[in-house]
Amino acid sequence: MKNIFNFLANPSRFRIFAKNVYPFSLIGMFIFIFIGLWFSLYNSPPDYQQGETVRIMYVHVPAAWMAMMVYLSMTIMSIFSLVWRHPLADILSKCSAPIGAMFTLIALVTGSIWGKPTWGTWWVWDARLTSVFILFLIYMGHIALVRAFEDEYKGARAGAILTLFGAFNLPIIKFSVDWWNTLHQPASVIKLDGPSIHIDMMVPLVLMAFGFLFFYFSFLLINVQTELNHRKLKKLFIKKLN
Amino acid sequence: MRLFFKLVYRDINLVIKGASDTGAAILFYLLAIIMFPLSSGTDTNLLTTIAGGAIWMAALFASLLSLDRLFRSDFEDGSLEQIVLSGMSMEIIVLSKCLAHWLTNGLPIVLLSPILSLIMGLDYEYWWILAITLLIGTPSLTLIGATPAALSCAIGKGGVLTALVLLPLMLPVLILGSGAISAEISGLGGKGHLYALSAIFPISLLVSPFLASRSIRLGWE
Repeated sequence: MKNIFNFLANPSRFRIFAKNVYPFSLIGMFIFIFIGLWFSLYNSPPDYQQGETVRIMYVHVPAAWMAMMVYLSMTIMSIFSLVWRHPLADILSKCSAPIGAMFTLIALVTGSIWGKPTWGTWWVWDARLTSVFILFLIYMGHIALVRAFEDEYKGARAGAILTLFGAFNLPIIKFSVDWWNTLHQPASVIKLDGPSIHIDMMVPLVLMAFGFLFFYFSFLLINVQTELNHRKLKKLFIKKLN
Repeated sequence: MRLFFKLVYRDINLVIKGASDTGAAILFYLLAIIMFPLSSGTDTNLLTTIAGGAIWMAALFASLLSLDRLFRSDFEDGSLEQIVLSGMSMEIIVLSKCLAHWLTNGLPIVLLSPILSLIMGLDYEYWWILAITLLIGTPSLTLIGATPAALSCAIGKGGVLTALVLLPLMLPVLILGSGAISAEISGLGGKGHLYALSAIFPISLLVSPFLASRSIRLGWE
């Protein structure tokens, strides 16, 4: 395991790795999202209270999970970047931020669309919604901060510091529905005494979650390749000038 | 320890002599509060409901303005390097800067708040909860702001970007602080909010000196 990490630590080797793995990840994404969409749109029961609107859940919940998962992975990469000065962790963290921001935006927008028929309002300022909105703002701050530096190395370091600081928000998002009285429903899948959701709804949800996970991997791999190519181009240009 | 207090004394002295814009931030605090009755009408009932939030928001923006140059002016003219050469650890320097910033920015905000609550039409019996939330909240604001302020040294420019990074991190303090006041006014009791608010201070006291000193070193790399 350690050998794999050491092997991939070299950016140019990782570029080749990313190029080779990317098609498989893309195929995984299409398979999971298509099967997941078929299950969630045709082959799952409507809710006894909400009716057909419950199908929004199959996009909303995986997107919200991914929004937090991407931030968690960015936090871990930031620790790698600050403690071991891992060259690849910087790049992965930088490339993850826009994808995470997009997942957060999807979660917010679909939640808002779901909220109108079920709660009767597009938006309420309860703890869960507010903390996810803060997560979106932190993502945007990270994106702006990293790109404000002329030196990419410094920018990545600054981004890592900000990511670690913003990580306080993750437990708040997770437990906001337990700590405060919120309009948002409490957790029903990831909790200590097992999921309380019916298996017919669980299957499409898990399929969509895997689809979104592969979506993240695919776009991360594209972003990383672009970033690495960009850096290589810059180096070649400087070499040519000399 | 003697060096620590000397450094605090130096920073406060700089503010008194007008070399830093912290004094202007306090004036901004007063002005921003006056904007609220002028913009949303002078209806007393309305003012009473928004008073806590308005004063908190003005306090947040005032500390945001002065935090922008918390390290940067010393960083740019090289005095921060000289202070580091004195042998103090970077974390202690950050803490002393934060203490000086709170004494010149947070403390005046807290002291002025009872008078401002009268202007905003907040009921006389609620001034104490406003003062307590500000007393607990403003040190956290200073400490949370230290890291983005230090990052602005590394970028070499501040302004909008610092605000963009800083505001989301400060929002929990604002929510809990103004939430305590409105919960107290509505009769629910603001103690729950106060406890959560006071939990932020020790956490930020532990975390932010390390991250802020890391960010300042980033500027020297």
